Amino acid sequence: MSKKDRKISEEPMQATGKLPKEIEIELRDRGLREEDVLVSVRTDMDLTCAFTPGWIVLTKTRLYTATADPLLGEVHYFKGMETRKTGKVAQDREWTFAEYDISDIKTAYVERSVSGGFLVIVHKDPNDEEAEGAAETVAAVSNRRMGSATKIERLCEKLADGSEIDEESLKDDEEEDYCPVCGTMYPNPDRKVCPKCMNKKSIFRRTLAYLKPYKYRIMVMFACYLATAALNIIWPYLNGVVLYRKVLGKDEKFLSFLSVDGNRYVVILLLLVVTMVMTKITMQLVGILQGVMTAKIVPRVVKTMRNDVFGAMGKLSINFFTSKQTGSLMTRVMSDSDEVSGFFIDGLPYFLINVFSIIAMAVVMFRLSVPLAIVALMFMPITFLVSWFMLPRLWHRYGRRHRATRSLNSKIHDNLSGARVVKAFGQESSEVGRFDKANEKVRSADLAVMNYDNKFSALYSAAENLASLMVYIVGAYLILIQKKFDFAVLITFAGYVGQMTGPMDFMSFFFRWFTNCMNSAQRLFEIIDAVPEIQEKENAVSLDTIEGTIEMKDVTFGYEKNKPVLKNISMKVEGGHMLGIVGRSGAGKTTIVNLISRLYDPQEGSVTLDGVNLKDLSFATLRGNVAMVSQETYMFMGTVAENIAYAKKDASRAEIIRAAVLASAHDFICRMPDGYDTIIGSSGRELSGGERQRISIARAILANPKILILDEATAAVDTETEQAIQQSINMLIKGRTTISIAHRLSTLRDADTLIVIDEGKIAEQGTHEELLAKKGVYYKLKELQTKALALKGIE
Amino acid sequence: MGFKNFEGADEEFNLEQMEAETEAMLRLRYLTGDNATFTRTAGGFVSLDIAKGENGEPEHYDRVRVVRSFPFTAPGTYISIRTTEEKSKEIGIIKDLAKDVSKETRKMLEEQMNLRYFTPVITKINDIKEEYGHAYFDVETTEGPCKFVIYMNSSSVVSLSDVRLMITDLDGNRFEIPDYTTLSAGELKKLDLFL
Repeated sequence: MSKKDRKISEEPMQATGKLPKEIEIELRDRGLREEDVLVSVRTDMDLTCAFTPGWIVLTKTRLYTATADPLLGEVHYFKGMETRKTGKVAQDREWTFAEYDISDIKTAYVERSVSGGFLVIVHKDPNDEEAEGAAETVAAVSNRRMGSATKIERLCEKLADGSEIDEESLKDDEEEDYCPVCGTMYPNPDRKVCPKCMNKKSIFRRTLAYLKPYKYRIMVMFACYLATAALNIIWPYLNGVVLYRKVLGKDEKFLSFLSVDGNRYVVILLLLVVTMVMTKITMQLVGILQGVMTAKIVPRVVKTMRNDVFGAMGKLSINFFTSKQTGSLMTRVMSDSDEVSGFFIDGLPYFLINVFSIIAMAVVMFRLSVPLAIVALMFMPITFLVSWFMLPRLWHRYGRRHRATRSLNSKIHDNLSGARVVKAFGQESSEVGRFDKANEKVRSADLAVMNYDNKFSALYSAAENLASLMVYIVGAYLILIQKKFDFAVLITFAGYVGQMTGPMDFMSFFFRWFTNCMNSAQRLFEIIDAVPEIQEKENAVSLDTIEGTIEMKDVTFGYEKNKPVLKNISMKVEGGHMLGIVGRSGAGKTTIVNLISRLYDPQEGSVTLDGVNLKDLSFATLRGNVAMVSQETYMFMGTVAENIAYAKKDASRAEIIRAAVLASAHDFICRMPDGYDTIIGSSGRELSGGERQRISIARAILANPKILILDEATAAVDTETEQAIQQSINMLIKGRTTISIAHRLSTLRDADTLIVIDEGKIAEQGTHEELLAKKGVYYKLKELQTKALALKGIE
Repeated sequence: MGFKNFEGADEEFNLEQMEAETEAMLRLRYLTGDNATFTRTAGGFVSLDIAKGENGEPEHYDRVRVVRSFPFTAPGTYISIRTTEEKSKEIGIIKDLAKDVSKETRKMLEEQMNLRYFTPVITKINDIKEEYGHAYFDVETTEGPCKFVIYMNSSSVVSLSDVRLMITDLDGNRFEIPDYTTLSAGELKKLDLFL
């Protein structure tokens, strides 16, 4: 229903300023007042999943949807492609409107599909206000607009509950996703780097900065390159013109120039030979000098780059490491620094020298003979084109072979690490079949490489040979028939033709090398520039002594923006008390712990320590007072003592032993032949799960934190070891605020408060007795673990 | 205080009932046109009535979720009919949509699944540009022209079979190429990087 004939108001609605005019007018007609609008968000599908723009507008009393009728051939832009411009909806479209009464909505949820979702509202049962009635799909979105759907979902829930709506949940975060310069949407909003605006020029300049400390060495290198180029030009000249024409031809002018008379030309010949030998030797020496310079500069530049990247990585939030796409980025980064410095040290100067050589050679050739120079240079573009067109294709095939080999290797790895399973199920022969399939792919990729490589070499050398052949033919013609010049010039020419193909060849792949290098550099700077999500506030609060009272208020959090793991969690632990967290796996227990140690920040609500918001607290205060013993015990490469003293490097031996004794680790450590000096970690001695657990408890004891987090600390060990560890833990938790997560409820029997987490919400909260009296989830869990097992005679 | 102290307090704890629940979880119930009736609802869903349920009592579900067990390899068989809450439970399985239910029901359920498994099929590749760790796609699909971006890593383009590709964009939107060998040589060249 478009109302084109209406007068468009001069002032756009404040909160709905982004809405297309047609929608604004229609909604006003439907009685919407701009000051009532809570949010207006975009959708990108109609209810049949056809891509088309749309909007959802929410007020405290009503929910409106507007969907444009799909246009044939309209381009749909997804994240990374969309710009502010393409995000605008074309005027004069037909719109379909719908509206819903909030007071009639019981709840709202997002029904997820494989690449999007549907916003569903559940009406109240007309007969019973409290019961759920009919459900209705009101909007559809692809994952591109999933944020819109979940935002409306959350707000509808809050409106239905009658709970307060804070500013944060109304915040419009869309705008921040666009690059302020060119208006393109960032491919990854977590790392606000616009690929378009981070142009090659600035990357180039920044990379050059890494070379600055070595400018004198680089000047030496340049001198070497220049010398090589000059000698390259001189060599054919000595070899041809000077030898044949001037010396063997007894050129009077030349001889008198050297003030030698014509009869003693043997001396001259010797002189020439010596000169030629010296030239070759100088070329070699220059080559060696340049090699030494490269060897001195490259590793240092690479080292600086890697240090920068690693330093930047350390500052990044944990999210950066866990997200998949950066995982692969990391491994590439290390080789990227090689690529970048290699290009700047090897590629770039060589490029300049080549340009210089080609021009100089061309000038010399034209001075010697114009027609022959034309013939010789005529073939240069051909060889250049052959490389230009064929080399990328050749690399492409190499790339494919590389990928095939990699997949073969991973198959082998897969098979070896699963050897027990393969043997147990007797699948050796079928594994051979699977291997053969991957192997066959490598073979065909290999064949493709060789095929193309042969073609390339044949064509390239044909073009190259053709060039020198033509030079000889035309040269011979010019000498014999036209008598334009002598044999000496021809020899010089042949030398130049041979020398020119090298630089040409280089030029043809130089540009690709350049692009690759810029890509690598861009990846490096992306990490160096990335702004950590979790940052220490300027003038953050430092507390000298803390009590350890932790409180969470209305915390909502999800690792992915639109998938909340915790919903409106509120809880409090007094300093020195123990909180037990119970719940199914995946319920969000570990997530709570992650928020308390501020590995992540909550999206809504706050976490406070002694009344100070964690966001305002200095890292030193927080990290210095929190220690975690988790199920995943990580042992760094090093000795047992170093691992125990990980958080307190200056710990004395006595302290380390005391911590180990308290963690009941001292005995087994002393039983090892090297005692506390035993090397453990990835390449060292293998420790059992219980041993590792005890070392990590010792680590926590030595750190002496005010707040201790136990995340399934005893889940991976047998009952007997658990008993021993439990005793160490009991020692450890004295006088500390302890948050303990456990499957086995028996580990939580000393907790002052227990919370039961279910589907990201607190299902029950109270002391052990209170929860049992409630006969709810906790009761059921406890019964399952004690009585059911007891009945079967296990306990 | 140990747990043992509390053991006496809960006579009503019914182990048998719990075991029955667990057993029900382990059982597979097949739904056919004979025992299940599906009906469209006004809100765009499908409701389910089972005349004779587990205990002989009729069961009614206001709306159900229709899920494929093998969405890629056998989209028409082993359709799991589930409840719609977050931790959805299976109500029953339809072994073969073509044989076990009426044409009308089949259409109804397929409508639901088409929404759930909505995936544009790429019919033509206009351009693929690789830059700075991302690949920019400009394609024609059954749902109209689309421009999207993927990460340059192995999980963005997945082979579902020797010829079938699934492409996932930055947000997790899926696009499909059912048989890449049917693409033109020019298009294949653009795509070659991912094969």
